[in-house]
Amino acid sequence: MKLIALMKKEFRRFFHDPRLIVTMLIPGLIIYLIYSILGDALWSKEQDTYSYKAYVAGESRLCEMINTAFGSDEFLIPAADEETARKEVEEGKADALIVFPQGFDEAVNAYVPSPGAKAPQIKIYYRAADTQSSAFYAAVTGILSAYEDSIANKFDIVADNFSSDSEIVGSVLGGMLPFLVVIFIFAACMSITLESVAGEKERGTLATILITSAKRSHVALGKVIPLSCISAIGATSSFLGVALSMPKLMGMNVGGFIGSVGFLGYFLLFLLILSVVPLIVSLVSVVSTYSKSVKEASAYTSVLMIITMVLSIVSTFVSGIGNWVVAIPVLNAVVCMQGVLTGSFSLWQSLVSVAVNIAFTALLVFAIAKMLSSERVMFGT
Amino acid sequence: METEVFAEVGDEIVRVEGITKTFTLSRKQKKIEKTAVDRKVAVDRLSFSAYKGQIYGLLGPNGAGKTTTLRILSTLIKPDSGDAFVCGQSVVKEPQKVRDKIGFMTSELKLDGFFTPDYLFDFFGNLHGVDGEVLKARKKELFSRFGIDRFSEVRVKDLSTGMKQKISLVVSIVHDPDVVIFDEPTNGLDVLTAKVVTDFLAELRAMGKSIILSTHIFSLVEKLCDRVGIIIDGKTVTDGTLQEVCAGETLEKRFFDIYGEVKGETV
Repeated sequence: MKLIALMKKEFRRFFHDPRLIVTMLIPGLIIYLIYSILGDALWSKEQDTYSYKAYVAGESRLCEMINTAFGSDEFLIPAADEETARKEVEEGKADALIVFPQGFDEAVNAYVPSPGAKAPQIKIYYRAADTQSSAFYAAVTGILSAYEDSIANKFDIVADNFSSDSEIVGSVLGGMLPFLVVIFIFAACMSITLESVAGEKERGTLATILITSAKRSHVALGKVIPLSCISAIGATSSFLGVALSMPKLMGMNVGGFIGSVGFLGYFLLFLLILSVVPLIVSLVSVVSTYSKSVKEASAYTSVLMIITMVLSIVSTFVSGIGNWVVAIPVLNAVVCMQGVLTGSFSLWQSLVSVAVNIAFTALLVFAIAKMLSSERVMFGT
Repeated sequence: METEVFAEVGDEIVRVEGITKTFTLSRKQKKIEKTAVDRKVAVDRLSFSAYKGQIYGLLGPNGAGKTTTLRILSTLIKPDSGDAFVCGQSVVKEPQKVRDKIGFMTSELKLDGFFTPDYLFDFFGNLHGVDGEVLKARKKELFSRFGIDRFSEVRVKDLSTGMKQKISLVVSIVHDPDVVIFDEPTNGLDVLTAKVVTDFLAELRAMGKSIILSTHIFSLVEKLCDRVGIIIDGKTVTDGTLQEVCAGETLEKRFFDIYGEVKGETV
C-alpha cells in the first residue's frame, strides 16, 4: 500500500506535467525525422544516377570488363581522336579517357616479370578535383588492379556477394544501434532521475517522506520502479526512432531488416533493454541520493555516462569479446544486442545478461535504501 | 514501556536520556565559527521528559541544540550516545515504530510544490497507513478547521507562506499521532495565521496529545507550555513546570538571568 502510494506519486508527477512527457518523447521523433530526411536526401540524389562519359582509345579485352562493370556494353565511347577526347576531359565535358597502347593484350600475355623488363601500361586521363571524375578513376583502377592481381598470380578470383540488404543493414545496425540505445536510455534516465531524486533531496521534500513510517526500501523502490517505467518510454521512443530511420539513412529496406531480426530477436532486444533501464535508473539514483544537489549529481552522472559510452564503443569495434562479458552490467546488454541484430546471438548469454543486470539493480536498490537511512548522506552530519 | 501504559493525562510519554550529538565541521564552518576544532557538540548529555496532554517548550538561543534535539526525537538523525523514548519506543533501536507515533513539522521539511494540498494529504495519509474512510473524514475536518478547503486544489507552489505552513501542519498530523513535535511553528507567519496555529496547539493538548515545541518566543511559551526546558550550548540548564522555571519572574527575565549565569556575560 505504501509502496503503491510512493509509485503513484512518481507517475503522477510525470504524467501530469506535459513538459516532461514532451521532453521524454521528442528525442525519438526528432531522430526519426532527421535520419529519414537525411536518408531521403542522400539516396534520392544517388538514384538520380549520374551518367559517366568515358572515352577509350585503343583496344583491349579489359574494355568489355569495364563495360560490364558499368552495366552497358557500350559504356566506353571509342575516341575518334585521342587528342580531342583528352581535351574534353580537361575541360570537364567528359569524365575520363582510358588509353590502351596498340597490342596491349598480346603484350600482357607475353609479359614475364623480370629485372629490366618493362610492363605494358594503361594511361588514364581524369580530373582529381572533380568528384565524379575521380570516382570513375577509383572504380576503373579498382577493376584493373583486380585484373592485374589475377593474371600475376595466375589465379582466377571468383567473387560473388551473397549478402542480402537486411544482412547488410543488420551488420551496420548491430554495431551502432546498441551503443545508441544505451546512450538514449542513459539520457532518458538522467533527465528524470536527477530531478526526482537529487531534486527532491535538495528541496527537502524527500526528508518529509523519510519521517513517515514508510520503509526505506519502499522509498527506494518507489523511486526506481516508476522512474524505470517512465525512462523505458523515453528509451523506447528513441530506440524506435533510430531503428526505423537507420535503414532509411543507409538506403536499405526497413521491412527486410525487421523481418530478419525475428520474434525471438525482438523479444530478447526488449528484454535486454528492460534490464538495462532499471539498472541505469538505480545507478543514477545512487549518485543522486549521495549528491547534495542536482548540479553535483549531474556532474557525477556525466562521468558515469562517459564511462558507459566508452565501454559501449569498445564493444562496438572490438570483435571476439569472450563470454565473461555477461558479468559486466550494461556492457553485457550491448554485446548481446549486437548479437541479436547481426543474427549471431546466444540465447543463454542474453538471458544470463538480463539476470546479471537485474541482480545488480537489486544491489543498487539495497544501496539506495541504506543511503536513505544514513544521516551523513541525507543530512550531511 | 508500551503505549497503553500512558493512557492517563500526565503520564510520561517522551523521555530523553542523556543524548549527545556531535557534528563534523567543514572547513567553511570552521572559518565562520572561528574555531580550529573538527567537531562541534550540538547536544551534550541532554535529558528531559514530556507528559501526555501537556505542551513541552524547548527554549534557547540560535544554535543551542533545539532543532538537533527535535531531529533526534523525530528519528531523522541518531544520537552519538544516550537514547530517547517516544511512547516507550527507542528512537535508536525502533525508529520505524517511533515514526508511527509522531508528527513532525519543521521549516526544513518541505512539501512538493507540484502537488495540491488535497493530493498531499492523501499521499501522506497512505504513507502512514491511514484507512481510506478515516482519511477522508480527517481531511474534511482539518481542511475546514484551517480553511484549506478554499485552496485544496491549488498547487502548493502557488500558495502563500502562511497557506503552506497550514498545509505542513495538517499533513504532519494526518495520522493523528500521539506526540506532535513542532520546530518554530509560528516562524514567518502573519499574526492571524500564527493565532490559528497556537489555538490549534491548545486544542491538540485538550485532545490529550503531547506536544513538544521549540521556540525562542517567550510569549508563546508563557501562553501555551506546561513545562519548559531551557537549552544553552546543547545542555539542559533548567527543566520544570513553567511556574518552577519562572520562579515568580517573567520567563524573559528568568531566561536572561540564567543565560548570564551560564555564559558569564550580561545580555
